Amino acid sequence: MNLKSVKFTRHQQADFVVLLALSSLVIWYLFDAYNASSHFANLILILPVSILVLVLCLIEFISQLRGLHEPPPNLDPIASMLPVILLFVAFVLSLEWLGFDVGTFAFICAFLWLHGERRIVWILAYSITFALLMSLFFSAMLPYPMPMLILPTAY
Amino acid sequence: MNINDVIGGFTLLFSEPSLWLIVVPGILIGLIFGAIPGLQISMAMAIFLPLTLYMDFMQAMLFLTAIFTGGGFGGSIPAILMNIPGTSSSIATTFDGYPMSVRGEHNTALGIGLGASCIGVIIGYSLLFFLIGPISEMVLKLGPAEMAAVILWGITLIASLSGANLNKGIISGLVGLLIGTVGYSEVGVSRGTMGSVYLLDGIPAIPAMMGMFAASELFKLVNSNYLVEDKSLRKVSVRKILAGFLHAFHYPVALIRGSLIGIFVGSVPGVGSSVASLLSYIQAKRKSKNPESFGKGNPAGIVAAEAANSTSEAGSMATLLALGIPGGGATAVMLAAFAMHNITGGPQFIREQTDVVYAIIFANFGQAFLLIILGLLFIPLLANIVKVPMNYLVPSVLAVAVFGAFGLTGDLTGPITVMVFSVIGWLFKRFDYSVPAAVIGILLGGMAEESLIFSYQISGGLWSYVLERPVTIFILVMLVLSLFGGKLVTMLTRKIKQ
Repeated sequence: MNLKSVKFTRHQQADFVVLLALSSLVIWYLFDAYNASSHFANLILILPVSILVLVLCLIEFISQLRGLHEPPPNLDPIASMLPVILLFVAFVLSLEWLGFDVGTFAFICAFLWLHGERRIVWILAYSITFALLMSLFFSAMLPYPMPMLILPTAY
Repeated sequence: MNINDVIGGFTLLFSEPSLWLIVVPGILIGLIFGAIPGLQISMAMAIFLPLTLYMDFMQAMLFLTAIFTGGGFGGSIPAILMNIPGTSSSIATTFDGYPMSVRGEHNTALGIGLGASCIGVIIGYSLLFFLIGPISEMVLKLGPAEMAAVILWGITLIASLSGANLNKGIISGLVGLLIGTVGYSEVGVSRGTMGSVYLLDGIPAIPAMMGMFAASELFKLVNSNYLVEDKSLRKVSVRKILAGFLHAFHYPVALIRGSLIGIFVGSVPGVGSSVASLLSYIQAKRKSKNPESFGKGNPAGIVAAEAANSTSEAGSMATLLALGIPGGGATAVMLAAFAMHNITGGPQFIREQTDVVYAIIFANFGQAFLLIILGLLFIPLLANIVKVPMNYLVPSVLAVAVFGAFGLTGDLTGPITVMVFSVIGWLFKRFDYSVPAAVIGILLGGMAEESLIFSYQISGGLWSYVLERPVTIFILVMLVLSLFGGKLVTMLTRKIKQ
């Protein structure tokens, strides 16, 4: 095998990073479980499965190094998805403070604006209606209080 | 089978027409809860359980089984239209249902799903009618060793579905299994919680599933204008839904095989409809003359998944009625209804109240026919989702998933789980890891560990215990064959040719 003759695309490099991250997480989890208790019952599944995953990761790593896998089909650029992912993360993390009512309204507004909707009245009308209906429906259906900023809640 | 009990069952069911009034709202509740991601069938049954206090036992059973029947199909609606399994049992429906929707065949796919579900319920309860005795005996013989073997086999089969890269498929399934064990273990220590109290009960499996399947897919769709790009294919057609419904009958083998898998797997407590529908889907793919068309919108995939999913309801009812053991969340609520009416399921119940058992079975035949009518009325409304622009659909569905996840956990652990696993799911899809295998691993990790511990305790740590369990050996052989069988056959064929 001549590694110098194999050129790695950016996608393949990222694939290596994902594989490495998976292996590292499995090793961390194995040690965490072992530190918690070395009792046989505690490791009965975790130990063999972790070892198997690490062996398979090694095989995958070698086959990737040898360039055995076909290049993937055209994928959407990460740059086009990153703002959506970040917006979704911000939405979920803000729920504690903004509540489901205002948080959902803000998320839908921002998403629509980000994706080309420029009719302000339309954005506001849809976001308010959706956030209100969802918040009222779920707070009525669920047996526990939901975090809300404006709507009544016992959260 | 005593003919007097059969007649008694009919009499019980049709002597009071008001009994049936409760079935229509039950099916509608099931359809709605199943169709909204995050609202589970068991949740619907639990919410409406107090209502059954004001009903007699037969009415309560009809109402709850109607929710169960409606929910069984309801989950497949978002699975087909949005790639979001409305319930965990609809995972396999997404594999071919969603590609059909993207191709503009959403009407046909929904019709096929409805057809397979209704036929599944009828076949399932017909089998239950004849086999309730033998099934209850079989279930009693399945121990934790068999359960662990079934889980490992299931994950291996699902990993093999991931297509080109089997290695990454198995890695995904095994990593899923590990994630499923996070939290308190049987020996009373916590693993992988990073000190968070929210993770002590483990990672919430359904929100994780919603994140990996739904949110990750939605991230991919942000650059599309519509779910179905071709405007002419976006029409909602009752005629096509009906044609799809009838089209399900073109796959009798997938229907019958799926139903058999559904009733037997569904009757094993704890395994349930998600594993049944996945196993049925895998078998349909393996036996197909055109296996590569699966996952790209093959109607047989929807038929296999939905038939098993619906039939497993009858399987779990068999365990509940014959042994008094709930097979999953929904039957656990039904068990509570039993208790509320001072009734205990089990061999004695079957022996002494056979007419009631038959009445429940016959009622489900009626429910299947009502589901056809209500489904055909309800589906056209929901199918309009393909007409919604993606910039409106994506944030709305993401928000619904977050609301639903909160509903499942009762705190922000659910939404945060959706968020984390949506990113993981997106990465998995991008780098060709198997999302279904990982999800099934997460769902079954805790159960697999528990089964292994019980087997270890029963066997006293002796490996020879496995040799005394023929069913376990059979399942393990199947596991090895499913991994290496294809290669073995190719190798043998090549040698014979030489």
